[in-house]
Amino acid sequence: MRRFLLLLRNEFALFRTAIPAHAVAALQPAVLYLLMTTILVHPTFDMNMARPETVLGAELAAALEQVGSPVGEPYVRLAMVDWDGGTVDRQVIRVEALDGGSLARPVAVQHFGLIDSNLVKNFRNRLTTAALRLWDAELGPRSVTVEQHPWLPHDVPYNVYFGMAVLPMATFLAAAIIGAMLTAQEFEFRTVVEYRLAPATLGLILGGRLVRLALTALLSAGVVWLAVGLVTGVWPRDPWLVVLILLPVAVVAGCVGMTAALLLRRTIPAFLVGLVGAFAGWIVGGAFGLPSSFGATFERVSRLTPFAHAIELLFPRYFGDRSSASAVTIGSPVISALVLLLMAAGMVALTAMVYQRRVRRQE
Amino acid sequence: MADSTIRVAAATRRFGGLVAVDELSFEVGRGEIFGLLGPNGAGKTTTINLLTGLLRRDGGEVSVLGHDPQREAHEVRRRIGYVPQETNVYLDLNAMDNLWHHAALYCRDLHGVDARIESLLRLMSLWERRKDPVRTFSGGMKRRLVLARALLHDPEIILFDEPTLGVDVQARHVIWDHIRARREEDKTFVVSTNDMAEADALCDRLVIIDRGRAIALDTPEQLKANLGRDIVTLRTTPAIDEPELLFTGLGVQAVSRPGPDQLRLEVRNAASIVGEMVARMGSGRRIESVHIARPTLDDVFLHHTGRGLRE
Repeated sequence: MRRFLLLLRNEFALFRTAIPAHAVAALQPAVLYLLMTTILVHPTFDMNMARPETVLGAELAAALEQVGSPVGEPYVRLAMVDWDGGTVDRQVIRVEALDGGSLARPVAVQHFGLIDSNLVKNFRNRLTTAALRLWDAELGPRSVTVEQHPWLPHDVPYNVYFGMAVLPMATFLAAAIIGAMLTAQEFEFRTVVEYRLAPATLGLILGGRLVRLALTALLSAGVVWLAVGLVTGVWPRDPWLVVLILLPVAVVAGCVGMTAALLLRRTIPAFLVGLVGAFAGWIVGGAFGLPSSFGATFERVSRLTPFAHAIELLFPRYFGDRSSASAVTIGSPVISALVLLLMAAGMVALTAMVYQRRVRRQE
Repeated sequence: MADSTIRVAAATRRFGGLVAVDELSFEVGRGEIFGLLGPNGAGKTTTINLLTGLLRRDGGEVSVLGHDPQREAHEVRRRIGYVPQETNVYLDLNAMDNLWHHAALYCRDLHGVDARIESLLRLMSLWERRKDPVRTFSGGMKRRLVLARALLHDPEIILFDEPTLGVDVQARHVIWDHIRARREEDKTFVVSTNDMAEADALCDRLVIIDRGRAIALDTPEQLKANLGRDIVTLRTTPAIDEPELLFTGLGVQAVSRPGPDQLRLEVRNAASIVGEMVARMGSGRRIESVHIARPTLDDVFLHHTGRGLRE
């Protein structure tokens, strides 16, 4: 045990040989999260409406006010503006006379400025739903009632989901790039000869490095955890369970980085494999939404990555358990946990085999 | 050899069509500094790698401390220290951290390692700089650190590949002194070098290797004495065109031209014939210099291979 602790201490001392990689690992995911939160998640868009001059216009405005998300913060907010028909900022609705006639048959006209199609869709949905409400009021018993049953009793704020999804990415990124750098450097500095001749066992050598990488990766995830908590005020339930979920991700990533370095034997290519692997796997594995929300094919591919399983296991820690059936499903937690463990064990076996061939084998 | 620690018998190693080590044989006694001398590419490093078990051999036998490094690599590696050609230390770590790293991988018993690290760093005159990053060390200091590292787990044999490659003259002597001092502690050294001065000054015995084959094996003194001749180097203006004719009957055994105006003659007894040589060169030729020397290991190599160590 003393030898292992000594080896672990030495592994941490090697921090000084790869300071830039450690800086990237510690800060980059948290910075990415903060930027994405600011740019993509934070804005609540104003849905402009020209101040109505008729009763029908006022009724439309009132109906628009009532339409929105069944739970959570509004994404689009109605705003009354004085509009003279000039340049349109995003969108403005004005109740106008049809073909320049009288306002006895008014028409709600949406004028659009330069916005993306998603926002056009959201603005248009809001308007048509409000119009439906007005129409329903006159249909009496033939009116159509639309009920909304949210999956969760509360909103899933995107900045919380995204932050949660960044946790396994931060874990993977740190373990993969640092593992790649430390291992490739051994070849470049020729210190690998020390390992080639060492009477210490392969298990001890690999174990020391993997434990060090896992601890570093968890620290990196801790920075993101802190950032998400401070920004959103949402902290996960059962923090130790979160650590246990991220641990196999760290082991898989450490093995990916080390294996890349053992095969490539050069720092920059191995570093890039870790970097690209972390981001590509993360995007495929549910960075922007649970894998099942993107279709069966995407979900199948997602589940080949550790990210999909980790994110699905983390989801209840942040958003609570499922309360009702939903189109968006989460895989079985037991299977996800098992898959993560198998992935970690498989990668450790693969790394040990490659290490034996590339470092310890007699040539 | 009664107390041999290393036995190599007809060891052979090929890399594709190249025979890097060709039926090489030698033995090394306990407490001996044994040299592998030869030009670059002669097979010295390959031989060392056969001793460590890093390389498999294609033929012959190798025994290190009674174990076959190929089949019992673990047992051999526990008892040898290896200093490679490249100074392979962690440059951003300090000397202490480098040694602790080695201790975790190599030392059988970790009790007392801290005292041993201090003792070795003091011995190598590195104690005062123990907390400085190795990147700030001179070439000689790095080499001494690598030697300290190789000694840390108290090996019986140290395989030292090019001990003073790239270090200055002063540092060379310090490293040689350390090797000699460790020999007094009954450590066995196998030193590979292409530096004849190093082999001459350091080694108790050596094997001269060329193209993977042993061409001579003995103490440096005996190897030179076996040549049985002195070296006379003449510089004249103009140069001597036909030295064999000019010096007929003086016992000249070999002639070569190290430079355009230089003549190198191997003779049995230089002192008895140099006067006659000068007389035969006559008044029409200016004698710039006459240099008489005992043969060097380079001369031994030249004698056996027809070319110099540095060629």
